[in-house]
Amino acid sequence: MIEASSEQIRTFLQQYILEKSVAGGKEKPGELADDCDLLLSGMIDSLGLLDLMSAIQQHCQQEIDFEALDPEQLTVVGPLCRYVSEQLAAR
Amino acid sequence: MERVSVPPEHNRLSASKLAGQFNNKAGSSLMVAANGATSRRPLWAGFLRSAENFPDRPALVAEKKTVSYAELRDLARRIAATIQRHPEFSSTQLTAVFAYRSPTAFAGVLGTLFAGNGYVPLNRTFPEGRTQVMFERSECRSLIVDANSLPQLNGLLEHASERVLVILPDLSDVSPLEAKWPMHSFVGAEELRPASQWQEPTIENDSLAYLLFTSGSTGTPKGVAVAQRNVVSFLDYMVERYEVTEQDRFSQMFDMTFDLSAFDMFVAWERGACVCCPSQKELIKPDSFIKNNNLTMWFSVPSTAVFMKQLGLLKPGHYPQLRVSLFCGEPLPVSSVQAWSYAAPNSIVENLYGPTELTIACTLYRWDAQRSAAESEMGIVPIGYPYPGMKYLVVDEELGEVPPGEHGELLMSGPQMSLGYWKDAKKTADAFITVPGRTDVYYRTGDRVRRPRSSAPLIHLGRVDSQIKVLGHRVELGEIEAVVRKHCGSDAVVAVGWPSTSSGYGGVEVFIEGQVENHQLRDAVRSELPEYMVPRRFHFRDKLPRNPNGKLDRTTISKSLDGKHD
Repeated sequence: MIEASSEQIRTFLQQYILEKSVAGGKEKPGELADDCDLLLSGMIDSLGLLDLMSAIQQHCQQEIDFEALDPEQLTVVGPLCRYVSEQLAAR
Repeated sequence: MERVSVPPEHNRLSASKLAGQFNNKAGSSLMVAANGATSRRPLWAGFLRSAENFPDRPALVAEKKTVSYAELRDLARRIAATIQRHPEFSSTQLTAVFAYRSPTAFAGVLGTLFAGNGYVPLNRTFPEGRTQVMFERSECRSLIVDANSLPQLNGLLEHASERVLVILPDLSDVSPLEAKWPMHSFVGAEELRPASQWQEPTIENDSLAYLLFTSGSTGTPKGVAVAQRNVVSFLDYMVERYEVTEQDRFSQMFDMTFDLSAFDMFVAWERGACVCCPSQKELIKPDSFIKNNNLTMWFSVPSTAVFMKQLGLLKPGHYPQLRVSLFCGEPLPVSSVQAWSYAAPNSIVENLYGPTELTIACTLYRWDAQRSAAESEMGIVPIGYPYPGMKYLVVDEELGEVPPGEHGELLMSGPQMSLGYWKDAKKTADAFITVPGRTDVYYRTGDRVRRPRSSAPLIHLGRVDSQIKVLGHRVELGEIEAVVRKHCGSDAVVAVGWPSTSSGYGGVEVFIEGQVENHQLRDAVRSELPEYMVPRRFHFRDKLPRNPNGKLDRTTISKSLDGKHD
């Protein structure tokens, strides 16, 4: 189990998206903006989201309870990273 | 093993007739003979009865708007009256509904049926090229479009070879479209005909409910033609079994291009209940959607339950208001049912099974905490027992029935058996067959099951061909291979499902013999296939493994992924 700041989660997310894009033959993404929606921008699809959530939990070495996160913000970079960080701090 | 003593031509005779009727729209009564009793009650009769009984109750919640039965009936009748006003556009008796999770989408479906046509759902989240192919193959001459699908309309009309009637209930001013496309006819919100001008159409024995396109192994999607009487037979059983009332509130987790969506709409409307349509994000994280909408009826693919469990959304007792939870579309893991049962303690949980060709679902199994774990195999819940009137055979490759306890291909027949593939006599004849020694036409599901002993449930064991399930979506690996082959220049292409999940596959990966420019290939493939069919990775090999017959060795290729992934 680790604690991580919102920025550290974002760094992990950036790396994850980069690796998936390269592996999938997609364009390399630039810096992920706070309001970037991973789903609507096409960086991941709804199926890929399952993989992403697993990867985040594996990286943080613990299960994360996403219940309190607004579904509209689930795939938006800033709110997602802040939420994960808050969940880790709360443990 | 039983030998086939009847020539193949005989096997296909009935099915050829069946497919032929689409080519001439002769309204053949073949399916009456094949299925026994049939119903000519229109599919929309239940909705109208509910609108009569409960005009002010909600029929629909979509895009955060609540639409009453009276409002939905009125808009659907206006759309229907508009279609009826232009009979020259109904030659194929089909209308396309290019609308996504909006009130117009649902009114479009009802309006199409009220006009006596079957609906062809089109999906703006699909690649435009695929939507165009579906529209062309259906030969629809009329089209209903909602506001958010409008940006893709030009692409669709560019490929239309004949005049099309375009109905736009969300658009007031259609003059820019009329100026751009003088060949076609446009009807905006203001020009819809009054609801009072709607005339109740006559329903024929084979009047269509919908034409749905599924993945086809030759590279193009194939249209499954489902008759209203097929759906009515399904509905009659479902509303009774689940004792649906006007107090019920249904989830709508399926896009209309997925036939399971027909359950939510028509079962709910049959008894005055409400259909609740989540947003795109709520589809992924539906916990607050279930609670805020006070859902009583849940229907989704098992993957949704798997995902919810992973996000921590299946806590014990979380969804006490759910009274019926149904899963369909892919194998249902025992672990998912158990987690769901804790979260929805007042709900029955059932596993439904059925290909589009057999109308939504045709077998079911009710989960029982005491008994079911023992009846499940390899952690997967049984598919259970056929619906009333539906019958099955489990056969070997030569269509001989296998002994109880053995596995084989599942064939099914009955009132839910659809009419076949739209304008494709050969594919229909191949899939809808007469089994030697029997007179009825059976549909070959391509699914491998165990023939039960005595009263045991049917157990689903996988596919007999190269079709797989990717998170509930039916995917022909051959279709992906055909598209990749077209763009990469190599003939040796193998698509495999990977990674394996408890209920199917998480995605598709493709192996190609030789070297190809990866980036361009992916873009080209993406332009033709929906997202769930786009390969996650391309693997390039100088030589792909082959079996002694020289065929590409799928098993070895597939195994090469295990242990090599990140």
